[in-house]
Amino acid sequence: MTRAAHWVALGLLAAGAVTAAHAAKHDLDYERLRASLNELEADPVLGNLAPAERALAEQAVQALANDSGGKQMRAYRLYMAERRVDIAYAAAQAADQEHRLEALDHEHDRMLVEASRRDAEQARLEAEKQRIQSLAQAEEAERLRAEAEAARAQSEQDAQAAEAARAQAAQTKRIADAQAKEAELARKEAELAEAAAADLRGRLQNLRPTRGAEGMQMTLDDIAFAPGQAALRPEAKASLGKLVGFVNQDRSKPIRIEGHTDSRGNPNANQLLSQKRADSVRDALIAAGVAPSRITSIGMGASRPVASNDSEEGRAKNRRVDVILEDH
Amino acid sequence: MLLVTAGCGPTKPPPLGIDDAARALDAARNAGAATYAPLELRNAEERLSQARATADKHDYAAAQQFADEARVNSELAAVKARLGKAREKVEARTRENAQLRQDLANNPATATETSQP
Repeated sequence: MTRAAHWVALGLLAAGAVTAAHAAKHDLDYERLRASLNELEADPVLGNLAPAERALAEQAVQALANDSGGKQMRAYRLYMAERRVDIAYAAAQAADQEHRLEALDHEHDRMLVEASRRDAEQARLEAEKQRIQSLAQAEEAERLRAEAEAARAQSEQDAQAAEAARAQAAQTKRIADAQAKEAELARKEAELAEAAAADLRGRLQNLRPTRGAEGMQMTLDDIAFAPGQAALRPEAKASLGKLVGFVNQDRSKPIRIEGHTDSRGNPNANQLLSQKRADSVRDALIAAGVAPSRITSIGMGASRPVASNDSEEGRAKNRRVDVILEDH
Repeated sequence: MLLVTAGCGPTKPPPLGIDDAARALDAARNAGAATYAPLELRNAEERLSQARATADKHDYAAAQQFADEARVNSELAAVKARLGKAREKVEARTRENAQLRQDLANNPATATETSQP
């Protein structure tokens, strides 16, 4: 190709600039090819491509201006110029296509890179998703385990609570039973006490004066006193009306109060207890309005039994306080 | 120089360019001109055989012109083959890229997701 350019250039030099300008005047072929080349050079894309082929075409077209050599030489030059212009076009178009192909290849590579980046990202996301899923499964398993554990602990706690409630109920029942028993006992005790008090009141109400060696007398048996105690029972104090009435039937007579015990125990203690019991009755009479100057109270101990001390019944009769309205 | 001497008659020994024209024709064939530029290739072949025929008759000036014409035809055939191949490749690559672009558009993995932990 460079050699062809050489020849054309040499031809142009030989022809000379003056004849070229002159011959181009009315040459339609020249003008057609000239215009075609101008169009190629003015093309915004193709005009910058295939400069060597364009230069060769340019020279071939310029060679048309050389009208030396006759008709056949003219036909040869025209043929060459036409082919050169065609080559310049085709080369420029090929270069353009090749540039496009290069750009497309770059785009292709970029998209492949992007696709593989996305594949990698997708794989990463998938792996992350699976990691999260397996984490969630592990958490779920742990949650179920904890729930089962909690349920087990709860049922254990429930069993303990039930046992405690049962024990508590049993304890409450025991307490209730004990309280009921206690109340029953108290009730019975109260009944007994009431019965004893009623008995005492009955006996005091039924006191009858009897004739003794020293005058008329009334006898308080020992249920008027608590066992071993010297003080009168409160019920006894409240029921002394008969006794007071007896001693006041003749206020001129002195009153002798004798305390007696059974024969068991220490004689001194018995004497002291009988004296104190006699004093208690004296105090009760004085409190009821009987004149103290009339009263003498004496502890006789076990010295004057009225019954045998061998039986409980006899000993009970011997434990007594006699209130005597003396005759003299 | 040759152009100048061509008019002087067929007496000079011939560096006629026939061998160059033959090589150009081979190059055009190798470039796939039979497919992409069969007309130009045939023109080149005809011109080359005319060049050889006129050279045999010692008409060297005509032989040289035929050789030149054969060579430019071969050059034109070769460049048209180059252009045809390039066009085919551009079309194929354009289709591939469109497909790839569509594949990427259908795959919603986006760059924003990469910033998530």
